[in-house]
Amino acid sequence: MKRRQVIIGWLFVLPFVLVVFFFLVLPLIYAGYLSSQADSLVGGQHFVGLTNYIDTFKDPLFLEGLKRVAIYAAISIPIMISVSLTAALTIDVIQTRLARVFRLIAFMPYAVPGVVAALMWGFLYSQQFGPIYWVAKRLGYPNLDMFAPNVFIYSISGIAFWAWTGYNMIVLYSALQGISREIYEAAIVDGASQKQIAWRIKIPAIKGAIVLTVLFSLIGSMQLFTEPRILSRYTNAVTLGYTPNIYAFNLAFNQSQFNYSAAVSFALGLIVLVVSYGFLLRSRRMADK
Amino acid sequence: MQKTLRSGSFKKATAIFTTAAVAALMGTFGVSAPAHAASAVHVKVWAWYPNFKEVVAKYNATHTDIQIDWTNAGAGGDEYTKLKTCIKAKSGCPDVAMIEFQTLPTFSILNPFVDMGKYGASNADGRYAGWAWAQATSGKVVNAIPVDGGPMAMLYRKDLFAANNIKVPTTWAEYASAAAAIHKLDANQYIATYGNDPGWATGLMWQGGCLPYKYNGTAAKATVGINLNQASCKKVLSYWGDLVSQGLVDTKPFFSTDAGADFDTGKYWTWVAAGWTPGYLSGVLKTTTGKWAVAPTPQWTAGADAQGDWGGSSFTVMNQTKHPKEATSVAMNLYPPQKTIDAGSPWDIGLNSAFLYPLVTGVESNAAFVNHTYPVFADQQPNPIYIHASKKLGAFQWTPFQDFIYSTLHDETAQAIAKKEPWASVLDNVQTKAVAYAKKQGFKVTA
Repeated sequence: MKRRQVIIGWLFVLPFVLVVFFFLVLPLIYAGYLSSQADSLVGGQHFVGLTNYIDTFKDPLFLEGLKRVAIYAAISIPIMISVSLTAALTIDVIQTRLARVFRLIAFMPYAVPGVVAALMWGFLYSQQFGPIYWVAKRLGYPNLDMFAPNVFIYSISGIAFWAWTGYNMIVLYSALQGISREIYEAAIVDGASQKQIAWRIKIPAIKGAIVLTVLFSLIGSMQLFTEPRILSRYTNAVTLGYTPNIYAFNLAFNQSQFNYSAAVSFALGLIVLVVSYGFLLRSRRMADK
Repeated sequence: MQKTLRSGSFKKATAIFTTAAVAALMGTFGVSAPAHAASAVHVKVWAWYPNFKEVVAKYNATHTDIQIDWTNAGAGGDEYTKLKTCIKAKSGCPDVAMIEFQTLPTFSILNPFVDMGKYGASNADGRYAGWAWAQATSGKVVNAIPVDGGPMAMLYRKDLFAANNIKVPTTWAEYASAAAAIHKLDANQYIATYGNDPGWATGLMWQGGCLPYKYNGTAAKATVGINLNQASCKKVLSYWGDLVSQGLVDTKPFFSTDAGADFDTGKYWTWVAAGWTPGYLSGVLKTTTGKWAVAPTPQWTAGADAQGDWGGSSFTVMNQTKHPKEATSVAMNLYPPQKTIDAGSPWDIGLNSAFLYPLVTGVESNAAFVNHTYPVFADQQPNPIYIHASKKLGAFQWTPFQDFIYSTLHDETAQAIAKKEPWASVLDNVQTKAVAYAKKQGFKVTA
């Protein structure tokens, strides 16, 4: 009986396991193999061990891209998560039909595919057609260029803010729904204000969800690719190694350096892993205190 | 796209947007074959020429032995990404692929091509423009069949130059004076934008006498010449760098939505661009159609007659094909050497709908092309200027890693535009990086 259950259990997860194996594990193994080889345009492929990785961590283009996504994450995540949190706390309190409508509207950008969103923002940021420039010009900033190299990273942050704030808000709002209402009643009986309830009860209670949203945003930021790639033709900003993922893409598909590209991809994956794990560890320590 | 800016890619941008979805669906079964062609050889073609669907339909309707299965695999870099993947994977490549001239050696070093010379491709009858044939071949090996080119000339706002009594420049010195005069009239107007397109910059340097690359994949596969920081190249980049630094030339990238609109608002007065650019302009101009004219590219020496080229493309046959003979025939006859340009014929579509500059000499010299008029240029037949430019073009070679050089040139120029490095060091830096890259890839580098 037990054995049969085990088999049935495996049958249920089999489709998933197969997909993971063929489209994740196998390609990873192959990429890992590729990253240990060197292949030049002239001359053949041969084993080089970790040389590609050593080159990666010394590669100024890779490091420059890494620094850029770090800055990008540092700008966009705190703003995005605090706005998401504020919005979630607000609709949790008001609980009217308006809140439901707002929830839907805020979530909608998440349903727009990234490529479509990037193209759309290409127009929104345009000096000819965009509302942002139209307003800026009337406010006395006729030179605002959202595609200028030193501005472009903020323009991308804007797109990410638009796309993900609503999504994160929903995650945090759902977590808030899980808190027992009796706790609030007790707090109100004790004379706590709504603000105190938010600070002292709600936020500590959904700390796990907040950590989760920050973590996902962090991983997403480090893998930044779609927006700068799609918008690159509008701006001079997007260089060969603008972000690590763009660099890996260009190495493989513009320069036929598949081996080095594999190493760059793995190096990025490793850094994402270390950063995420470090962040989790730190937030857990802080929670323990 | 990091960015691999490729000349040919963008002229068709508008067409791509509208046809991409259709093309994806067309795939292998979209083009209906005549019923009697059941035994016909099917040849897979990847290409992104505008209005190509009509050309394929015409071919299939007029051939019984061969039928074309066409896929639009993306323009320029998007297609190359897929080609490089199928070459690496040793399967999945089309029989015939469209490739731009500057990228031919970048592919040929991966050994993906059939030598079409073995299947009857030749230029013994002078069928193709000589400069293009030289780029399509390597020694006696025929890698590609030339289709369209981009001989350069200056597009300019005839009405604005006349109304403001500014001389239409014939030399680069006059061009710089005109740039100052225009910007003085209105601080929001420029003679041009430095679009930072490496293919365009290369065309301008070519015109300035800068022939920086030497490569012959057949004779010496592992030897490449790179000499980007010679005086004739630096002269061109410094010239534009000066104009940009003085604020006399704008820096919006070509083919962006805003730059396209700016050509229509009077913000930009000129564009030294390619033979296919009128096609692009036709798509973006709304209010200034008919106010433009074409003049020869300004000269470095008064009275000289130096010309350059920006872009152009060809058909190659991939050696994964099972039908090299038929594929070669397709490559040669999709845009065939026509003597008359009948309505609905391939070159009628190519010239009048797709705005291609023909590298098939019989078409180039055909009255239908020579005397062609365009709404963009109200009272001018501009093609004799482009034809003259194409005839003056000499040999030009590319490196087998042109993608790397183009993206490095783009990025270094972007640094200069952002005032993070002097314009004077752009080509020095590209040279240094290109040589280092070539050596890392196992090449022997000569000047």
